[in-house]
Amino acid sequence: MDRPIDDLTREETHDDLPLGGEAGLIEGGVESGAADRSAFEWRKAPELDRHVRIRLRKDEREIAARWMADPKQMRIYTVVTLGCFAFWVALFPLCMMDIVPLWFGFAFSTFIAAVGYVPSHEAMHHNIGRLGTKYHFWNEAVGQVATLILIFPFSMARLMHMHHHYHCNHPENDPDYTDGADNWWKAWIKTWLNRQPGADGSIHHYKRCLERIGTPEAHIALRDTMLLQLGSMFFMFALCWSGYAFEAAFLFWLPRHLGLSYIRYWLSWAPHHPRDGLDRYTNTRVFRTWVGHWMSLGMQYHIVHHLYPGIPNHATKYAYYEMKPILEARGVDCTPL
Amino acid sequence: MGALVIRKLLLWMPFLFGIGFIAPLTAQTMDYWNISAPFGLSSLVFGLILGGAWGLYANIKGRWV
Repeated sequence: MDRPIDDLTREETHDDLPLGGEAGLIEGGVESGAADRSAFEWRKAPELDRHVRIRLRKDEREIAARWMADPKQMRIYTVVTLGCFAFWVALFPLCMMDIVPLWFGFAFSTFIAAVGYVPSHEAMHHNIGRLGTKYHFWNEAVGQVATLILIFPFSMARLMHMHHHYHCNHPENDPDYTDGADNWWKAWIKTWLNRQPGADGSIHHYKRCLERIGTPEAHIALRDTMLLQLGSMFFMFALCWSGYAFEAAFLFWLPRHLGLSYIRYWLSWAPHHPRDGLDRYTNTRVFRTWVGHWMSLGMQYHIVHHLYPGIPNHATKYAYYEMKPILEARGVDCTPL
Repeated sequence: MGALVIRKLLLWMPFLFGIGFIAPLTAQTMDYWNISAPFGLSSLVFGLILGGAWGLYANIKGRWV
């Protein structure tokens, strides 16, 4: 195995688990005192006897090991992602030549903009192909193309997501902390406000985080972001000035904005609201939603992902129900599901 | 040097977006719906004025609305 089976939180890196694997990608060190400086009380998991903790962790790991990503089963992610990306690129000439109606192109582009983050997310955690295996090439290929429609380069996405895992809910170091909002409708509005040119949210905040991190990987991610932003903009400008402004708007610009808002709401705000926990059992919540499992992109069970990022998104639901007694013993509120 | 140029371009992106995207989109929308521009302007000139001004506003104020 090329990495620890479970995600590492700040406390644990100081406790009994070594810092390695994915955590090595992330800015090292722990800034002390975020919780101390906070204006409100951070929620904490209950204190348990060390022997109980070890037994629970062992049971938890046994369950997790059964649901870890199998590269052969993950091939469907590669096929669907590359197929959808190819079709999205083909939609530009197809819609320009009126072979495919623009409304269909718009619906499809919006769909892949909203859902494309899921395979990219698996690739960020090397779930499609681990390092050093023959599947790793496809893992990286999926990651590189899945979020191009969002103008979100894989290098930045991966680094920021690892940072989010390591510093989850930390007001200064969690790159997604700016998605926080008091309730659902404010959260939707904030997804848009955060993308305004002068706002300190979304990709603007990510850029600032990368500059602060300052590692070679961070510089590469910043460079990729600038080049992709510039390239995408000039691609859209060229389309518009060639007489295809509707195609640029409905196949790229509008789907991107709708997709980003959807992702920010369901993948960031909903599973982490109200962002009042810093440890591995309180930094994510279990919730029930009327839109259901598929429309919420499986985020109701996001706690399993934060505990074991190696479990693919489609399996978190099953792993959750097996882990539920352990999670309850750990103080997780499992009453919604 | 290259990075500096790109940074400067990105700094002015809202204005460039107004000229590069909003202006032709406005013009093509007006043409599609047969809407004529005021003061005898062509739809493209009207789009450039609207897109340029809106982009400049976004550049200065830091938000589009």
